[in-house]
Amino acid sequence: MELVRKTLNRELSEEEWLTIDALWSEHCSYKSSKFFLTSFPSSGKNVVMGIEDWQDAGALDVGDGYAIILKVESHNHPSAVDPFNGSATGVGGVIRDIISKGARPIALLDMIRVGNLDNKRNKWLLKNIIAGIGFYGNSIGVPVVGGELSFDDTYTDNPLVDVAGVGVVKKDKIVPSVIKQPGLKIVIVGLTGLDGLGGASFASRKLSGEDEIGAVQIADPFAGKVVLDATLEVSDKVEAIKDLGGGGLVVAVTEMANGFGAIVNLDDVPLRVKDLSPAEILISETQERMLFAVKPERVKEVCEAFEYYEYPCAVIGEFTGDKRIRFLYRGKEVVDLPSDLLLRPPRYRWDVRRSKREVLNERPEVDVERAIRKVVSSPDLVDKFWAYSQFDYEVGTSTVLKPGEADSALISLPNGKLLAIKGDANPDLCVEDPYECGKYIVAEAYRNLATVGAKGIGLVDHLQFGDPRKPEVYYQFVESIRGIAEASQFFGTPVVGGKVSFYNENKEGKPIKPTPLVVMAGIVEGKFLRPRIFEGLSIVVVGLTRNEIRGSLFTKLFGNYGEVPKTRLNEELMASELIIRAINEGKTTFVKDISKGGLVGALLPIIAKGFGVSIRTRAIPSDDEDILAKLFSESGARFVLLAEEESVKWLEENAKGIYVSKIGRVTKEQKVLELDNEKRIDLSKEIDNYYYNYLEEVMSNY
Amino acid sequence: MRVAVIKFPGTTCEIDVYKALREANVESEVVRYKEFDGDKYNAVVIPGGFSFGDYLRAGSIAANTDTMRQIKEMADSGKVVVGICNGFQILVESGILEGALLPNLNMRFLSKWVYVRVNRFDTVLTKGLNKNVLRLPIAHAEGRYYHDKPELAKRLAVLLYSDERGNVDERYNPNGSVLNIAGIANEEGNVIGMMPHPERASFKLTSQDGSIDGLSLLRGLKRVEA
Repeated sequence: MELVRKTLNRELSEEEWLTIDALWSEHCSYKSSKFFLTSFPSSGKNVVMGIEDWQDAGALDVGDGYAIILKVESHNHPSAVDPFNGSATGVGGVIRDIISKGARPIALLDMIRVGNLDNKRNKWLLKNIIAGIGFYGNSIGVPVVGGELSFDDTYTDNPLVDVAGVGVVKKDKIVPSVIKQPGLKIVIVGLTGLDGLGGASFASRKLSGEDEIGAVQIADPFAGKVVLDATLEVSDKVEAIKDLGGGGLVVAVTEMANGFGAIVNLDDVPLRVKDLSPAEILISETQERMLFAVKPERVKEVCEAFEYYEYPCAVIGEFTGDKRIRFLYRGKEVVDLPSDLLLRPPRYRWDVRRSKREVLNERPEVDVERAIRKVVSSPDLVDKFWAYSQFDYEVGTSTVLKPGEADSALISLPNGKLLAIKGDANPDLCVEDPYECGKYIVAEAYRNLATVGAKGIGLVDHLQFGDPRKPEVYYQFVESIRGIAEASQFFGTPVVGGKVSFYNENKEGKPIKPTPLVVMAGIVEGKFLRPRIFEGLSIVVVGLTRNEIRGSLFTKLFGNYGEVPKTRLNEELMASELIIRAINEGKTTFVKDISKGGLVGALLPIIAKGFGVSIRTRAIPSDDEDILAKLFSESGARFVLLAEEESVKWLEENAKGIYVSKIGRVTKEQKVLELDNEKRIDLSKEIDNYYYNYLEEVMSNY
Repeated sequence: MRVAVIKFPGTTCEIDVYKALREANVESEVVRYKEFDGDKYNAVVIPGGFSFGDYLRAGSIAANTDTMRQIKEMADSGKVVVGICNGFQILVESGILEGALLPNLNMRFLSKWVYVRVNRFDTVLTKGLNKNVLRLPIAHAEGRYYHDKPELAKRLAVLLYSDERGNVDERYNPNGSVLNIAGIANEEGNVIGMMPHPERASFKLTSQDGSIDGLSLLRGLKRVEA
């Protein structure tokens, strides 16, 4: 505050303080993160619009003159208070960021993390988060094609609701979010109301536990659908488009002005309720509003498109060349601040401190059968039909692989190409080693795309942490970025956009497990794979299993020990390339990457489909004889494949330095996992009662 | 041009239906509801979505538009009217088809591929169909068909939720519909409404297991055209 007073050499009005508060909020200004975000690799042959443009969403070339727009964002704080509206408006915000680029939204992903479901409130949160996403996504006709749903007590007070969106647009029709010359009219569509007051500031601090419902926006998906349709009708008639999101009107106008000036008459803003104060109009985050920069002669046709739907559209001011942001109310100037000051908040680089973690290196004595039964009964691995069946995942008739069908979603694009898309995070590993974790999640996403035959071309990230002023938290943040950047550079999957969410803590002020998340997009250049399972197929493991079990699902259940998995980037690339080649040569019918739950977790979907699996543990290529490592290690660069006998040889001959080993075959013994021809583990109970029934049952009685 | 695909504000499936009709070699165009002129068309498809947000009750606001008054006249004069999902809801809300569509028994939106048995072969979409069990996807929150005269409903029913062999049983009823009804037609068979989405079962690449039974239904409009 002193800094502002000193710069301006005067006292500020209430409205001006609110303006500063919104623009300098962590949510809008990235003040604690920008310095490190600039280290991401952000250029490459497919990058149409990268992170340095700071336009929130990124754009990647997918050929034939088309680009996809990629965007990820969370709505964690609103969802903790009002999960239905919080998650629904999260979807709305992502969609409006995509249409702001002039792109048609074609797919959504949702990555949900909540506390364990033995807690009533967590059930309530999950039920409403899923319902809210469905309510909004279904109503506007954009399919949710994939996602993640996992559980950990770290999210009990602070659930994570991450939504990613994909849009498609002709490359030469991408609309900017900022103006390049003054003299344009400022046009707003939609009504401004009282909800979501100060939402950006709310998102930039920890939850107080007090009544914060006023900071949550209310979702109106019908209005959202009208805005979607009408915005795409006018997108080539305007000079810039911006969604009125975090920070409301004052942030949208200032950011769109791009260092130029603006003068806005608040009396002309269409209101939902009469007599809002100027401050309320400035920072309201009412949804379903957009801001356009329009040449004066085109205002009429732009507004007509909205008026067809009886949707309010008004000119509220214009962009000027004087580099001042001014808002008038009833003839009086309530805000008059220099553009520069607003767009250049003080930057912070907080202290970093590596946290001292308990080192438990005691390998537990666990019966193998018990361990298998426990791991396959983990809620993280169960069938997610309960959740995805609430989404209209086929609207648009472009969903090639359905939710739950494969490791990655796959959708068809207007140019006939197939786009694979997958979100990955690994908080259990990130809490152990955020740097290795950063590399791991990028590699895992790359692997997941490979399982359907796609090669990654770029990603967006979402970095979710606790309070950045705590040195241990900031260390995790910085280290994850190092890891993500390094792996992205190596795979040639530049980071084209992203978001940062700090202050995710529980009521006692304990931060969440660090949860950076990447959403990677890839293109199928040849054939894609729709997984198919037949009795008699050989089970092949690709890649060397390492006894690096720390941070795995197994150690989460039985106690942490051992080493953290290291991501060997070249090994990852070679393994993924082998998989893509095998798919193209028709050498496999089913591919799954080995990650959560290790080898057992990867075999589970085969068993759940009603087949049996017989494996020889000695045949699993491994750097250690430990059976627990062979079955449950989550070390990277590995896949499980199903293949005909003669294809196994092809795989061995074509693997460049990658271990390939036939470890068993698919049997007709329903839901039985057989180890080394002696141990026969019937998993029918786990599959029938748990895998397919857990969510339905736990969510139906509370 | 003979088939109009109606777009209300909030309709989401108009392009999908248009594409599927093209796949079925049926000429059609998407028409925004205010611009619709019933005299220009001899068939109309009301696609799925959330017309006017489905606020109040699914389909109820659209049912009270001038567009639907024109469509009722078309139906009465024997022209072809097809309602899919929200389109079906609009047809019952406007009284063009009998019965009502209530919230699913478990009160949730449900997306799922189902089997339906064809109960009538005398409607515009089922005439000349060479299969009696179809595989189609449903995606709705309010699809529980209800009729206070079950005997009449039984006669009007065109599609019944079943297993893959065509056995109709409560076990295969996804939403609690009376008599497992997934779609009905009027007595004459020129007006038909259904909860499943035939347009989503019209393309090999995006259909479950490549089945294109929906296309066989939509080809019925080709037969009308001829």
